[in-house]
Amino acid sequence: MRKVNSNGQAFETRREKDLLSHLISTSPKYKLWIAFLLLIILFGMFAYYRQVKYGLIVTGMRDFTSWGIYISNFVFLVAISLVGSLFSSILKLNKNEWAKPLIRVSEFIAVAAIICASIIIIIDMGRPDRFFYVITHFRIQSPIIWDVMIISTYLVISILLLYISIIPDIALCRDRLTEIPNWKKRFYRIMAINWVNHPKQVAILQKTSKILSVAVLPVAFAIHTVTSWLFATTWRPGWDSTNLGPYFVSGAFMAGAAIIVIAMYFIRNQLKLKSYITGSHFNNMGKLLVLLSLVYLYFNINEYLGPAFKMVGVEGEHITELFAGKYSLLYWFVQLGGLVFPIILLLFRKMRKPLPLLIISFFVILGAWVKRFLIVIPSLQHPYLPIQDVEESYLHYVPTWEEWAITLSSFAGLLLIVTILIKLFPVLPVQEKELVINTDINPLIIKNES
Amino acid sequence: MSSKKINCDSRRNFLKNISTGSLLAVSGLSLLSCKNSSEEKTTLLTTDGKLVQVSKSEIEEMEHLHQGAPPEEAREGIPGKKFVMVLDLSRCKNARKCVEACDTHHNLTPDRPYIKVLKMKDNEKSSPYWMPKPCFHCDNPPCVKVCPVGATFKRSDGIVLVDNERCIGCRFCMAACPYSARVFNWKAPPEGKLDLPYSPETSLPSKIGTVAKCDFCPDMIRNGDLPHCVPACPNGVIYFGNELDDTVTNGEETVRLSTLLKEKAGYRYMEELGTKPRLYYLPPVDRMFPFEETNQESES
Amino acid sequence: MKVKRYLYPALKIFLLVGLIFGNNILVYGQDAMEDAKVAVSFSEENGIKAITAIAVDQTGMPIEELELYFYVKRTFSLLPIGDPFNSTNENGMLEIEFPNDLPGDDAKGNVTIVVKIKESDLYNDLTLETTKNWGIPISLDPLKEKRSLWASSANAPISLITGVSIMIFGIWFIICYIIFKLFKISRIRL
Repeated sequence: MRKVNSNGQAFETRREKDLLSHLISTSPKYKLWIAFLLLIILFGMFAYYRQVKYGLIVTGMRDFTSWGIYISNFVFLVAISLVGSLFSSILKLNKNEWAKPLIRVSEFIAVAAIICASIIIIIDMGRPDRFFYVITHFRIQSPIIWDVMIISTYLVISILLLYISIIPDIALCRDRLTEIPNWKKRFYRIMAINWVNHPKQVAILQKTSKILSVAVLPVAFAIHTVTSWLFATTWRPGWDSTNLGPYFVSGAFMAGAAIIVIAMYFIRNQLKLKSYITGSHFNNMGKLLVLLSLVYLYFNINEYLGPAFKMVGVEGEHITELFAGKYSLLYWFVQLGGLVFPIILLLFRKMRKPLPLLIISFFVILGAWVKRFLIVIPSLQHPYLPIQDVEESYLHYVPTWEEWAITLSSFAGLLLIVTILIKLFPVLPVQEKELVINTDINPLIIKNES
Repeated sequence: MSSKKINCDSRRNFLKNISTGSLLAVSGLSLLSCKNSSEEKTTLLTTDGKLVQVSKSEIEEMEHLHQGAPPEEAREGIPGKKFVMVLDLSRCKNARKCVEACDTHHNLTPDRPYIKVLKMKDNEKSSPYWMPKPCFHCDNPPCVKVCPVGATFKRSDGIVLVDNERCIGCRFCMAACPYSARVFNWKAPPEGKLDLPYSPETSLPSKIGTVAKCDFCPDMIRNGDLPHCVPACPNGVIYFGNELDDTVTNGEETVRLSTLLKEKAGYRYMEELGTKPRLYYLPPVDRMFPFEETNQESES
Repeated sequence: MKVKRYLYPALKIFLLVGLIFGNNILVYGQDAMEDAKVAVSFSEENGIKAITAIAVDQTGMPIEELELYFYVKRTFSLLPIGDPFNSTNENGMLEIEFPNDLPGDDAKGNVTIVVKIKESDLYNDLTLETTKNWGIPISLDPLKEKRSLWASSANAPISLITGVSIMIFGIWFIICYIIFKLFKISRIRL
């Protein structure tokens, strides 16, 4: 039975209609959303123009707090990007069938987050005009070079993972969608690389998919561990810790799970996919979030108990500042509101319904962002040698509006990329069943008359 | 008629006075120069076209007297030398002349000094003391290890320099240095007017968005002069020398390095961090001056 | 009255002339200081290196109680050796010991020994320099950079280079293989 939507586009199944309609029609809400994101990005670009013109003096960073929210945002974005590997690798290899529909969304977010992280780190550089020196004059001994290598590797792998999972659906778009502009038709045809559901093609796809699922896991662990080594290879209180690698990775998975919940909720509502992303998905995500948060809580306790027990010199000052001093409000908000309370609340089934879960996930994400702030900035304010004879502004770090504008525009950029990807490709797999190698070949109609 | 006479008279008087004055001046000068006849004299051209002979001790060094090696050559150390600095904390009075000299010759604004003089207090019961802290030029330098593009490098003569033409401004070295030795050019440094070719050895002209630090003044060293902070100190706190020579000098006293460190228990700050600094401190015992909070030379 | 009129200029002229003469007297007077001659000899016995200096004046008579300063030329300054104050005895002779453990200036162990008369009331300043190979030889060859974490990129530790290369090549090999497989998919026709 043929389904026809308002544009005159014909679909074969209800599922196709539900998942592919938004690829064709553009609602005013969508245009407004894009305009809003572009506005924020433009504002951020203006702030960056000011930074390039006057130098990094327009930020709140000074000689002691020489890294600020650009770096903490970078760590946050890299953390978010690990969500791709969580779904494409861990849950898939673990044969968690319920998570299968969410693989694509997680890869969208992973790719977008890594791209935004790379942009933010270039923005933080004092001489972005010399960025290519990182390639021509690289020193292999530097943790930053390791980070550059692993981020580019992870970006390529994430794009490949994303692409491989959607090839069959691109082919479907190529075949089914008629009411789309010509450039889009050409785009789908090229991207579909002659996919015709041929058994040989299916076999190759399944094999490569499996290889990638296994390969991405060490890369994902490596990316966030190497990012943690940017801190662990220095002598700063709070950074000089052997626990930093697992601490960062577990925090990344937790933050990623929370982001997926938020994405799920909005996609479900905006694209009217209530029957595909069901309450049980939210339930399971809630349980997953509890599990990941418990792991993160374990590493948190490990990270702070040792130094708090010993109170060595500047480490002691740093711990005091976090627990009871200047940053105590933020710290306890993060640990309690962003970690402990979510764990307790999510143990109840009622809290794992879509809306409560969304609100809790917001707090988790907010806590995750502020946590990265608390990891980067307070440590810089407690060097071994006392800070003396400097002006007042050196002792406190308050981000300026330029920094906030750029940070917000990095989030806007992330959302923009995800939105565009959702607009171009179906967000859930359209072919319901797992592609199996059929003995009888069932070719699809390849040609689409323009 | 009488006015003319008066004019003639005044002119005569004027000439008489001028001749007297100039004769006195010349004889006075020659007296002065006689006293220092053993010192070297240089001939200088003054700004109004006069040639004068002045003894070298009366010449004040202009900034940037020497040019350093260009960036490609600056990575080579001076052969046969391994520079070392010793700071005698029993003599430091917080005069800050070292800071002044360094700031002048590196064109620094007061908010980003290369050498900082810190008030240290080791524990509750001991007395505070002043500790000047330039870059330690460590032998196991954390800053050099983490630089992604090799903009900061360690030379064979022990000096760690920054190449501002390669620095990308990532500030990882600033995070890695446990001694807070580095400063960053957050805004355009006031060096636009300097017409020098860039050299990492002078750290001039500095560039926006790059890192800078104490460089042990290799441009001075190449010409056999001490770094600017060493002779500037009125109390002889800073000793500088060549470890291979086993000699350090503070401009007036020259002593053997090994003797100095052994007899006065020289130590390195936070030795346990393993960075192997090339700067030794002599403990603040038998102090030359009691500790005073305020800086006597300038307002704090 | 007439006397007064001429007195003052006359006084001025007299003062001036007197100054000039006095000046010259001073100048010439300094040249009245003598030149001393110092003969420096070096001896080494029983492992002790000794420097002997004999000071004689212009007439050949030995100078007693003349303070001589001994230095070794170093990178930035002169390192004093011997006691803080060394003066010649009644024979005009002075002997000091040269330290055994002083590093030299080059691979031969050369040191430049400087003997000075300075700030003496009776004798002009004098500086004598001699080069002897009494120092411990040091190598002047620029040291080749060893492999380390803080060396330049070309001198990274071998283990680091091999480890990183293996990991990067490994993962990119897999990536290229995957891309190659995707090409194969596109090649498959019905």
